[in-house]
Amino acid sequence: MLLDFDKLGSWRWVLCAICVAMALFLLLPILFIVALSFGSSRWLIFPPPGWTLKWYGELFADPRWLGAALTSAKIGVIVMALSVALGLLASLALVRGKFRGRAVLRAFFLTPMVLPVVIVAVALYAAFLRLGLNGTLPGFVIAHLIVALPFAIITLTGALETFDPAIEDAAILCGASPWEARLRVTLPGIRHGVFSAAIFSFLISWDEVVLAIFMASPSLQTLPVKVWTTLRQDLTPVIAAASTLLVALTVILMIAAALIRKGKSE
Amino acid sequence: MPATTAPRLRGSGFGFALPAILLLLAFFVIPVAMLLTRSLTEPEPGLQNYITLLGSTTYAKIFFNTFFVAGVVTAITVLIAFPVAWTLAILPKGWAAVLFAVILLSMWTNLLARTYAWMVLLQQTGLINRMLMGLGLIDQPLQLTNNLVGVTIGMVYIMLPFMILPLLGVIQKIDPAILQAAALCGATKGQALRRVLVPLAAPGIASGALMVFVMSLGYYVTPSLLGGTANMMLAELIAQQVQSLVNWGMGGAAAFLLLVVTLGLYAVQLRFFERGEAG
Repeated sequence: MLLDFDKLGSWRWVLCAICVAMALFLLLPILFIVALSFGSSRWLIFPPPGWTLKWYGELFADPRWLGAALTSAKIGVIVMALSVALGLLASLALVRGKFRGRAVLRAFFLTPMVLPVVIVAVALYAAFLRLGLNGTLPGFVIAHLIVALPFAIITLTGALETFDPAIEDAAILCGASPWEARLRVTLPGIRHGVFSAAIFSFLISWDEVVLAIFMASPSLQTLPVKVWTTLRQDLTPVIAAASTLLVALTVILMIAAALIRKGKSE
Repeated sequence: MPATTAPRLRGSGFGFALPAILLLLAFFVIPVAMLLTRSLTEPEPGLQNYITLLGSTTYAKIFFNTFFVAGVVTAITVLIAFPVAWTLAILPKGWAAVLFAVILLSMWTNLLARTYAWMVLLQQTGLINRMLMGLGLIDQPLQLTNNLVGVTIGMVYIMLPFMILPLLGVIQKIDPAILQAAALCGATKGQALRRVLVPLAAPGIASGALMVFVMSLGYYVTPSLLGGTANMMLAELIAQQVQSLVNWGMGGAAAFLLLVVTLGLYAVQLRFFERGEAG
């Protein structure tokens, strides 16, 4: 009864009202920012007195925004590649390995996800001070890799668990070397998992802010760091323009992920 | 299926995990351990960092803020997430997909963009204050940012998806026949809700609530942007001690307390909730 939508009677409308209210609560702030980014009011009056593209103009005219976006993209792509590579190897060990303590190892791999990022950030900042890695590209990559890897491992172990190892064995019995079998049989078999892990890893690095605030130097900063430092000074509509572009990117990546899922089910 | 047909072809496989293990040892385990050590050795060996941290009223207020906000945020999120997850589990497919997409979009939208939205909406001249004044509910703009009200609203916004998704998983696994049975036995909807649906969903509610509570305790970005320096929370204290005051001892001690609470609650979660859900 309570789990049958058609038999809920009047309760149906209460539940639907709550859902609509919550959906608006989640959605409206995002739409609000998109609207403000095209609004002409510097003081973020809503509804805007007129419409303009000048905040986007300011955004693209400032080489620091563009530089920060490029840095973010570069770090994101490197993190994505490393996270998928290390994640694949680790997942092979976790799913196909035959050694003791695999459950413990899995829990160990997931701890960076559980700990508050600020602890990891402060600890890495201290270590990087000694190693001279703060404000460098490798420093950002390592920091982001630590938090992206658990998500890649979750996705990839999930994919590997549903792929029958007997198919890999068959390839080996037919004369393939173990690496050939992994690369040409297993890898294509779990490609949806690999794509998802890649998208997740990139998004985590691209959006990551806490670690980046600590790693950043005046000469090298990521897009979220640029947003953060600007936000602490004032609430300029330029941030609304930057945020809108970030929302657009999120929507594109979500559609990509949905298409991958759809491809998988077909 | 019995053990795979050709195990000898693959070895133990431990070597595959080595790159990830070494990375985490070098850049996660050792740095965190060193930070915690510094809380005991700087400025001089001993426990005085912890004594200061746990003994002074300034820090007591920070602990109170942290646990209070995390608790309130968790309670509000549970109250909103339960009916939403319930509806999501039974809604006709098309509508469920739309609602689900909204939740995912919000979850994956850049955290700073979402926090910025609330900073603009909640400011003195912001839309919320002007709407409330337009409706005649208030005469003076309310102070909604730079205090714990702003932090709570911003955090609920961010934590909602993390409560809805695990709850949805649990409710979807409940057999509708159990609720039909309750109805056949004469239970009213209210009774069925209180005595059947909520108890059956309780493991999901508890584990989701614990997750949101733990995440809220260690949150940095939203509290520092919406709360201001006067309403500091624990994560900000750690960052401030290290970044502005270069006091590694105190920063390390605060980090250690946060770490202990986080891992402690996480252990509770593993022990009491995961087992039931895994089945």
